[in-house]
Amino acid sequence: MTNNLLGLFVVIPLATSLATGALVRRPVPQRILGLVSLCSMLVLALTWLVRIRDGEVMVSQMGAWPAPYGITLVFDSLSGLLLCAGLLVTIACYVHGFSMVEPLTERRYFHPLMQLLIVGVNQSFLTGDLFNLFVAFEIMLMASYGLLAIGRTRRQMTQAYKYLLLNLVASTVFVITAGLVYGMTGTLNIADLARFVADRSNAGVPLPTGFTGLSVMLLVVFGLKGAFFPLWFWLPDTYHTCPISIAALFSGLLTKVGVYAVLRTFPLVFAAGDARDVVLPILAVSAGATMLLGVLGAVSQHNVRRILAIHVISQVGYMVFGISMMTTVGLAGALYYMIQHMVVKSSLFLCCGVMERHAGSDDLDEMGGLLKRHRWLGAAFFVAALSLVGLPPLSGFFGKLVIIREGWTASWWLSAIGLVTGGLTLLSMLKIWTQGFWSPESGPRLNRGGDAGGRVRGLRAAHTGIGILVVAAVLIGLAAEPIYDIAFHAAEQLTDPSTYIRAVNPQAGDYVLSASGGGG
Amino acid sequence: MRMSSLILRTAVRFILPLTFLYAAYAALKGHNGPGGGFIAGLIASVGFCTYRMSYGDRAFHRLLPLHPRWLVFVGLGLAGAVATLPLVFGQPLLRSASTTLYLGGSEVHLVSAMAFDLGVLLVVVGVAVGMISRLGEELDR
Repeated sequence: MTNNLLGLFVVIPLATSLATGALVRRPVPQRILGLVSLCSMLVLALTWLVRIRDGEVMVSQMGAWPAPYGITLVFDSLSGLLLCAGLLVTIACYVHGFSMVEPLTERRYFHPLMQLLIVGVNQSFLTGDLFNLFVAFEIMLMASYGLLAIGRTRRQMTQAYKYLLLNLVASTVFVITAGLVYGMTGTLNIADLARFVADRSNAGVPLPTGFTGLSVMLLVVFGLKGAFFPLWFWLPDTYHTCPISIAALFSGLLTKVGVYAVLRTFPLVFAAGDARDVVLPILAVSAGATMLLGVLGAVSQHNVRRILAIHVISQVGYMVFGISMMTTVGLAGALYYMIQHMVVKSSLFLCCGVMERHAGSDDLDEMGGLLKRHRWLGAAFFVAALSLVGLPPLSGFFGKLVIIREGWTASWWLSAIGLVTGGLTLLSMLKIWTQGFWSPESGPRLNRGGDAGGRVRGLRAAHTGIGILVVAAVLIGLAAEPIYDIAFHAAEQLTDPSTYIRAVNPQAGDYVLSASGGGG
Repeated sequence: MRMSSLILRTAVRFILPLTFLYAAYAALKGHNGPGGGFIAGLIASVGFCTYRMSYGDRAFHRLLPLHPRWLVFVGLGLAGAVATLPLVFGQPLLRSASTTLYLGGSEVHLVSAMAFDLGVLLVVVGVAVGMISRLGEELDR
């Protein structure tokens, strides 16, 4: 089904970015514009997600150039779910930022950069073209460099520089790989690539030599962005230094875009033929190591931000685990887990921001007794933490259940690691809970005046942000079935790409069918 | 960052209009051949930058009396508007409309993508000139 309005997901934030850029000295109109833009996109995404709940695919061909030649925007169940989750997380972090981002920082292009980041994120979720995915990554990264460096402290600059350098390397490898893919297959359209691969396997012709190499190169690129083992080293430091609302947003969005890129391109294209036997073991080993080492790193930390940041890595492991099985259920589980993780992880970071504000530091030794004064904050953190651990009525449970049960027979060792990781996650969350909330108040904290009345009043926006995400986390758990259904449709389209190919390029769809008919 | 050499200044007086002409040529040629708004923008900003280098900041402000930032805003706005307009008519983003004018016997093929290219040109000039003059300010201090 053609829906030319898909372009709005790029146009709205781009226009808002311009408008807020022109109003850069006035925070209030910028906030209103930014919220209007984000909320309108969320409403659009939700409406269209409901419309395609039976697994249809919405397509818009840029400039009306037909599929393999032009750029295609595709809104299918996979993109739709992630778009909704991404926008929801962005809204919450954005609102949280109203009380957390310093006024001076806010006047330094915080709002335009935020919208620009969303342009990149939305475009990466929607695009059906490998080169355009690179462009979207670049837009997102440029905005994220800006957001990382926005406070201009020396430490922040050091981290932003490392992040920039790593991502430049990754982007270079990405664009080289894209060039090689084009040279090898003659197309960069993901649906057309899927057709190419399907045609070859239907006709029994092996893929071109070197295809496996390209798969591995892309895996490295996406793995670096998604923080897979062993490419996750950049993540903890980066999230440690920037304003907490921005860290929360990054934890929810940036690594997930890397995982999304794997989810989109590998089942359809790059894990085909010979590449499958190379890529899947890499993914499996990487998943196990990411889960276990990530959580071990988190347990060893003594700093709320660091614990949470390293947990991002560990959780990415579950998603990679789901993907590495390449079965419909595994992919659906990975997608569902991704959605809930985006919401839950960001809400934990947002809670951490408020905890830091109250305690004056994010060191667990200097925190304590938060529960007595801030009951609701404690409740929100508790719900989010248990959701991360995966306790039954909450959202994390269903994701883990699906992934671990699916892996139980084929890759039982990964499932076992997943269970152990779950236990250790609980341990590290309890550490924050007991030391930060439950323990008696510690002395030096009070002298810092962390709890001055004015500051607490200024936190209303932060509390709203936390509230949005915690409610969403609970709802995702309660409404697990409809969301999982959509995720299942998405996974079906990944394992059997014919719907996707036909939607993007009607002629190519016939071609696939006739080729497979001829082969059988 | 000012190099006040008589030779350079005299040369720039000729180079500046030439770069603009060449930029215009590249921008127009870009519809069906190598070229386009991006390249044209780079060429034009070479002209601006050499002018700034040889005549200094103040003369440059007389040549381009507004902050380069506004070129970026106007360019992005123009390109964005041209790209978005087709949505109103139910067409996909970036769809180009075209018309052919007959002016005294010769045909002129006009496309809306030209306005998009002009936007790109302005953005590139704004960014390049803005960055280079910012660096120049640091050096002048």
